[in-house]
Amino acid sequence: MRKEPKIILTIFLVLFVAVLFNVSLGSVSIPFKDILSSLFSGKSSQATWTYIILEYRLPKAITSIIVGSGLGISGLLMQTFFRNPLAGPYVLGLSSGAGLGVALLLMGSSLLGLGLSSAIWFSKTAIIAASSLGSILVMLAILITSSKIKDSMALLIIGLMFASLTGAVVNVLSYFSTSDELQQFVFWSLGSLGDLSWVEVCILAVFWGIGLALCLFLIKPLDALLIGESYAKSLGVNIKFLRYLTVIATCILTGSITAFAGPIAFVGLAIPHLMRLVIKTNQHLVMIPAVCFGGAFIMLICDSISQLPGSDYTLPINAVTSFLGAPVVIWLIMKSRQLNF
Amino acid sequence: MSLILLSCRQNTKKVDLNGSEFQLDEDLKVEYAKGFEVKKIDSHYLLIIKEPWPDADKTYRYLLKHKEEEDFNTNIEYDYKINIPIERIVVTSTTHIPSLDTLGVLNHLVGFPNTAYISTKRARQLINKGKVRDLGQNQSLNTELLIELNPEVVVTFAVKGQNKGVERVKEAGVPVLYNADWVESHPLGKAEWIKFFGLLFDKTETADDIFKGIKHEYEKTKALASSLNKKPDVISGALWKDQWYLPAGESWQAQIIKDAHANYLYANTEGTGSLSLSFESVLNTAQNAEFWIAPAQYTSYGEMLEQQQHYRKFKAFQNKTIFSFSSVKGENGGVLYYELAPNRPDLVLKDLINIFHPKVLNHYENHFFKPIKQ
Repeated sequence: MRKEPKIILTIFLVLFVAVLFNVSLGSVSIPFKDILSSLFSGKSSQATWTYIILEYRLPKAITSIIVGSGLGISGLLMQTFFRNPLAGPYVLGLSSGAGLGVALLLMGSSLLGLGLSSAIWFSKTAIIAASSLGSILVMLAILITSSKIKDSMALLIIGLMFASLTGAVVNVLSYFSTSDELQQFVFWSLGSLGDLSWVEVCILAVFWGIGLALCLFLIKPLDALLIGESYAKSLGVNIKFLRYLTVIATCILTGSITAFAGPIAFVGLAIPHLMRLVIKTNQHLVMIPAVCFGGAFIMLICDSISQLPGSDYTLPINAVTSFLGAPVVIWLIMKSRQLNF
Repeated sequence: MSLILLSCRQNTKKVDLNGSEFQLDEDLKVEYAKGFEVKKIDSHYLLIIKEPWPDADKTYRYLLKHKEEEDFNTNIEYDYKINIPIERIVVTSTTHIPSLDTLGVLNHLVGFPNTAYISTKRARQLINKGKVRDLGQNQSLNTELLIELNPEVVVTFAVKGQNKGVERVKEAGVPVLYNADWVESHPLGKAEWIKFFGLLFDKTETADDIFKGIKHEYEKTKALASSLNKKPDVISGALWKDQWYLPAGESWQAQIIKDAHANYLYANTEGTGSLSLSFESVLNTAQNAEFWIAPAQYTSYGEMLEQQQHYRKFKAFQNKTIFSFSSVKGENGGVLYYELAPNRPDLVLKDLINIFHPKVLNHYENHFFKPIKQ
């Protein structure tokens, strides 16, 4: 028997256990027997429990998988594309664009006279729309600039500039907003995985699928790019085309995730490094599935912790990802004494 | 020089604050409010703000003397000496406006930060006539404008520690008084802060009468409900993202629900502010609650469902027994509840009793809480 099927089987088994672990933990303690029966037969000894598991915890687990893997892949693409270990899914300024959209909606609606904080402006759909719009505008701006410039590194700087620009507008908006509006915006920026319905999870999954499918075309050219842009050119890689495709794939993955779950910190930057340190390769054929799996796995664990099982309270997901992720990355780097990038 | 020294030595009154010479008039006693107290010294008052913000380690003492009285020196420690009745006042919270209105002194209001939020009718008329200047944001008052207005006092509030926005105002020599009505955890404690304004305008008796009226109504209505058999379960708040925000068990909202003879499901939690709980824990606890009051900013079932499908699982949602104060707005769209409710706990209590026990109050129409729309 070849090695690959075994590995793939193990990966899926581990992921399944992680989902089960994630779904069985939460504020309300539900017996494991009821968790299994809810998952597999749609019934348990209490209707509330079934609802919590099927309509709250399960969509949250799926969202965790999508967010973890999607942001991990985005981070990987950006790190290879810019040949910069500090790059992550948000270097193109997508989270800033999304943040600006949401800030305009939450804090600017009263300021700009769009009807004094009428509830419709705070609706989930409106937030998703505002966030997507912000990301799309940034993406278009990046695409236009990338058609004009020769050096990919310039995109990095432009992304940073976008972040500064939008940051300034957000600052002005928060200065004039009420404490309620400000709080809503801050909470949005802390990210959350648990407020998506099944329909929204499905929509998010479609974008995630498209983003991942685009990555399949990027495996070989990205491998070539690792050695250098001119080497890749000599191998016949169309750099301009590669640039477009990478930017679009990243924008689709990161933009949709940010729209639905808010800007999730850290995972996108850290997961590729973690996986490189664990499997010690840079080949994208291996790295893409590895990052996918690693991101999903780590996100599920982080979400389980953020639920503070057994207590009535929860922690913001961003706090958990960074608080746990940073020491792990530091430890791994210290252990292997190099980045392996 | 010697003249000045001489005049300083004159009139120095030695007072022992703990002495028995303080026979308080009936209308100066503070019953429910924990944040302030009043002492009468001869013909003037010492207004002590005991808790200017939650867990404050500093108190503020304001010596209030009648205008016609001659100036004097005293051994009493104080932060400001203020001549009453004051003629020109700046307040900074909409909750201060109804107090000025009922005391009949709104015409002395000269400035307010962000006047757009004010809903009280008479105040709006004055704003529209340009009698009340807009001073910008509360956290960064327009200092120049404020100094130009030349108010005798600025009444402000601080969420934690001093309000940075007013430090410059202090430097300019305008007395800044802290009003901590929002810190009070008893509904009547909040309403009692009308006495604070009563002192400033030398209308202590009027303020006391108004407060007594509110207290009387509150206690009478509470007594009406307390004898009933039924005690429905009540839930409050709503989800924002995946967190459910609701008033904590020691908050004034929780107290009013209790006084309305209902069982607030989070009455036993600690804290006077709000709690943020996970969705599943709230669903588990409150799914079968009979009534749901103040679901954040929502004003209709459709809006709620559009935002979050989970609301459907709640009995109060299915039975359409959700009531909100968000639809009652002033001329400019400010929610009236935020402005008036702390001043009129009796009306809030009546509203809630009218919801929980519909037959108790005859022909009563709710002021704040209305059923939300379809």
